[in-house]
Order: sequence, then C-alpha cells, then structure tokens
Amino acid sequence: MMFKKLIPPKQWQPVVFALMGAIVGLTVYIAYNARVTSYLSDDPETCVNCHVMTPQFESWKHSSHREVATCNDCHVPHDNFVSKYAFKAKDGLYHASMYTLHMEPQVIKMHQPGRETVQANCVRCHGDQVMDPKDESLVTSYVHNRTDRACWECHREIPHGRVKSLSSVGYQIQTLPVQGEKKDVIPSWLEAALKNKN
Amino acid sequence: MSSKVTNWLLFLATVAVVVLLAMLGSNISDRKSESQFAYQPQVKIQNLDPRNQVWGENFPRQYQSFLETKEQDFSSKYNGNQLRDALEESPELVVLWAGYGFSKDYNQPRGHGYAMDDITNTLRTGGPTEPGTGPMPATCWTCKSPDVPRLMNEIGIAEFYKGKWFDKGAEIHNPIGCADCHDNKTMALKITRPALIEAFESMGKDINDASHQEMRSLVCAQCHVEYYFNKKTPVEGVPYLTFPWKDGLTVDDAEKYYDDINFSDWTHSLSKTPMLKAQHPGYEIFQQGIHAKRGVSCADCHMPYKTEGGQKFTDHHIQSPLANPANSCQVCHREEEKELIANVYSNQDKIKEGAKRLEKLLVRAHVEAKKAWDLGATEKQMEPILKNIRHAQWRWDYAVASHGGSFHAPVEVGRIVNTGTDRAQEARIKLARLLADLGYDKEVPYPDIDTKAKAQKYIGLDMDKLEAEKANFKKTIVPEWLEAAKKREAAMGIQTISSK
Repeated sequence: MMFKKLIPPKQWQPVVFALMGAIVGLTVYIAYNARVTSYLSDDPETCVNCHVMTPQFESWKHSSHREVATCNDCHVPHDNFVSKYAFKAKDGLYHASMYTLHMEPQVIKMHQPGRETVQANCVRCHGDQVMDPKDESLVTSYVHNRTDRACWECHREIPHGRVKSLSSVGYQIQTLPVQGEKKDVIPSWLEAALKNKN
Repeated sequence: MSSKVTNWLLFLATVAVVVLLAMLGSNISDRKSESQFAYQPQVKIQNLDPRNQVWGENFPRQYQSFLETKEQDFSSKYNGNQLRDALEESPELVVLWAGYGFSKDYNQPRGHGYAMDDITNTLRTGGPTEPGTGPMPATCWTCKSPDVPRLMNEIGIAEFYKGKWFDKGAEIHNPIGCADCHDNKTMALKITRPALIEAFESMGKDINDASHQEMRSLVCAQCHVEYYFNKKTPVEGVPYLTFPWKDGLTVDDAEKYYDDINFSDWTHSLSKTPMLKAQHPGYEIFQQGIHAKRGVSCADCHMPYKTEGGQKFTDHHIQSPLANPANSCQVCHREEEKELIANVYSNQDKIKEGAKRLEKLLVRAHVEAKKAWDLGATEKQMEPILKNIRHAQWRWDYAVASHGGSFHAPVEVGRIVNTGTDRAQEARIKLARLLADLGYDKEVPYPDIDTKAKAQKYIGLDMDKLEAEKANFKKTIVPEWLEAAKKREAAMGIQTISSK
C-alpha cells in the first residue's frame, strides 16, 4: 500500500493541501501563459509563439506553400494519429527546453528524424511528380531510387529560402493571415471625402 | 525514517517545485515580452505620412529597392529609365500636338523617384510666378506624390483639384511612394486616388470587391490610365480628374464617351481640329492582353519577388521587366532570356512600323487641312474631315502613349494603329476632293521638320521665352517650395515605438 504512505499525518494535511493547491494553481497559470492548448492545433501561428521561429514563419508566409500547407503538413508525420502526436510532443518538449535554457543556436537546423519526416511529406503530396505507377511495377527498388534523395538538395529555396539564421528577418510587422477579415480597399478618410465632395 | 523527517523533505521538495515553476513562469513571460521587440519595427507610421524615408525605417528592403527607381542605367530598344527627348527623336510629334503643351517638351519616362523633378522641370508646367498663374491646373499634381492623399484629406477632394498647378506647389514634395498604395498600420494595399473609385462606380462596379491579385494592378491603375479633367461635374469650374470608363475600357468606348459629351482637350493650331490627347492608358490596354486574361498583375512583372538573406519580398524597384527577365518572365516562361527579349522586340518593331507611318500621315492630314482652311473651306465642309483627324490621332496617341502597349496587348494595339490609319486616310481622301473643289490639285508639300527645333519653329513656338520663364521659376519659386516642405516635415516629427 504505497499510496497510504503518501497520505500525510493529520496535523500536516491542511498545509499539504494548501501547497498542492498552490502548485496546481501555478501550473494552470503557466499553461495559460504559455498557450499550451494551441500546441494541439495545426495553426502555423502556434509555431511563432516563440519568436525565434519568425524567420521560418515569415519565409513560409511569403511562399506558395502557404496556400496549401501548414507547418505541421511538412514537419510532423502523417502516417497515423499516434505517431503524429508522439512526434509533436518529442519535438515540442525539446524545443521548449532549449528555448527556456536560452540554448537556441544562431542557425537552427533540422535533425535526422525531422529530415525524414519532411522528406516523407514531400513525397506524400508530390509523389505523382516523382513516381510513375507503371515504372513502379516494372523496376525493382524504383520507389527507393526516386525518393531517397532529399528534395531540398536541388529545391533549395523551398519554402524557407537558403538563409535561415535568427537575424535573417530584419523588421517584420507580424501581419498574420487576414482571412475572413473585412478587407477595406478605400481608406476611411477618402470614404468620408467622397461623400461630401460637393 | 520518522514522519517528521519525511514531512520536512516533502516540504523542501514542494519548495523546489514551486520555485522552478515560478522560474518557468517568469521565463515564459520574459520570452513573450522579448518578442514585442525582436523583429518589431522601430517607428510608428502616422496615417498618410508622406515621408517615404520614415516608412523606410520599418521596411528597409522595400525602401532600398524603391530608391533604385532613381537609377538611370537601363535602356531597352525603345525605352528604358533614362531621360530621352521624345520630340528630338520624332519631331513629327511637335506638329501633331501643335497648340498643346506636349509640343513644348516631352520626354521618355524615368522612374518613380523622379516624379517630382520631372514635373517641376518640364516646360509643360511653364514658369508661373504667383498664385493663379501658369498653364496647368492643380489637378496635374494628383499622380506625383504621397503628399496628395495627405492634402486631399486636409482640404477635400474638389478643393485639391481647384486652382492652378502653382497654388499647391508648396504642399507637394515627396516623389511617388509608400503612402500612395499602402495602409500605414497593416501595409495592406489601398486606393488613395478618388478618380479610380469613381470610375469603378461609373461602370457599376464596387472596387471593394477586388481580390488581392487585382489590387496588385489596381494600385497602378490609380495613375497609369487614360484620363481627362471634367470642368463641369461634379463641381462647376473645377478641373475634376475623371476616367472615361463609363462605357467600357477599350479605345472605342472612350472615343464614344468623349464624342457623346463633345469633349476636346485642345483645338489643333494648324488644322483647327477639336483634338483628344490620350494619356498612357496602360491599365486599359493591359486588360485587353493575354497576360491580364490569365490573371497576371502589374506587380508580378514590374515588381517581381526577390530574395535577400532568408527573406522573400516584393522588389520595389519598379522598372521595365526587360531589365530583369530572370525574375519577371522566367518565373513562368522557361525560355532563354535572349529569346524572350527578342519576342518582345519583334512585337514592338511590327507595331512601331505601323505607328511611325501613321505619325507621318497625321502630319500630312493636319497640313492639308490647314491648306483647305487657307483656301477658304467652310466649317460645314471641314466637319467630317476634322472628325476623321480627331479619331485618327486619338487612336495613334492611345497606341503610343501606353509605353508597354505593344507587349501588353500586341493584337489590340495593332488593331488600334490599323483603325487609326484607316481614319487618317479617310480624312486625306476627303481633303483631296475638297482641295480639288477649291481649285488646288497638287500635293501639299510635307513641312521641313527633321529636327525638334525646326518643327517647333514651324508651329510658331517661342522656345527661348519658355526656357527663360522656366529657368526663372526654378531659381525663384522652387527653393521657396522646398523651404516650405522642410518646415512642414520638421513639424511632423518621428514617433518611435517606445515614445509615448
């Protein structure tokens, strides 16, 4: 009965409960402050919760991939639900620790698991461009030959460009996607001026 | 272990956990406030701030490339970014515009960075000496500067158009720049010139429905369009900037529009024709071409994306795509650069061939018409002839004034030159009959106009006087304008992000 041993003696119980309450409260507040729930989503804005990801976010936002792919479409596995969230948790905890300890390098590079994931995702969407089903059935090790080279060995600018240091961005007004927002083409001063021009 | 020791250990462990949690909490807050400063702009841009250099503080890449519009290092076969005297290259133009400002001075366009210099220097704006003097209305400033929306907002639209070009000179200072197209807070594309909004209304369209890709052309369409000054509506006596789009965007639609309201820009001093001047209908002609029909925007080729460091951004060095085929054409067309440029030139050569020929026919038509007047032709006899001349030159002008037209919509521009040639010859056939009726059956001699100077003398311009007036204006008035601008902008101040 290990559990019994953990229950403190009577005179300590109020103190222990108060302290545990303090810990839980503090944890809840930290989770809120760190926007923990956002990490469950696929929203790219989650990835710029940490500003070191600004160069990656901005370069993606200026690329054609922004129309069809979020960060997670390329950077987490899509073979099944479990591996997706396991990978997310592994990567996320590593990133969070490095960031908390101020250990992020000037140039952030993908590690091997990340590279494999991204390569698999290139093929996931662009498989038809690199593989021909007819040849696949005729040629041994065809798939391997067609997909084992990292796509970005040649497509070096896709989508983040070739320069990826933390200082590569310069100033950025974090204009976040304005989908669904009312676009206002005529500024309000001109709207008013047009109304009383006579 | 006694329960006392256990309890104390439990207490210490809890203390450690809480301290660590508190440190994590404060670390998260630190990092979050850090991101308020990392990558953040340094300056608060005020609404309609006309000073391009202030916007440039926050957007150095866009601003640096915008400054490159002052380069003068590129020349294509027919255009480029250098100051070239178009009248010297084609003295015929002097005769075609006899009685109108363009016969005094007309240069090939330079970059946006020169907008203020060029409008100040051209003889067309003359040498006004005091308020209310000079040949041009205030409306001429409309496309030259981000000071225009600032001033329109301060005094109202009609009030801005009112009066002479001189009257607003002290208020307009910065060359075409950021505030002309961008919102100061979100940097979203904006329309700041009422004429385009009104033109959309006249067609029964709402400009607010434009997509982002369309906006990448429409901000250019604020100025690179055919326009006229309407002195009757909406305000009597104010030259109100208006686009003739009510009936549509083609050369024929605009021609019909002007005929219906009996409008003419000026009366030709030789042939007495009520003339139309076409002004760079770049947007309208582009709309007739294949690139527009495939959804390409102006910015796609004239401001292609560029990469610097890890950043992709829009190149604000607005220029001829021929100076930069790698980023403009070759994004979509995987042909050799030489080949692509040769394709553009071949379109231009073919259309220029016809347009050049039409130019000479128009000179002849004006001169022959003058001969008919001299021999005593009546208004009634001349009316159908002048109508042909008006339409012929309108079409010629429409085709050549839109500098990129031969590329933007080659078939349409070819058609415009064709129909212009048809009307010019129509006028000349009628003139030949009329001259014969008046007892003249020989060729009317082509004037000796092989240089700009000869042509200007031929139409009776006193160039020395014009140049002296301009020199005086630049010596006395321009420094005053610059002084006023300096004062005004010093008072605007600069708000940094950290200032209250």
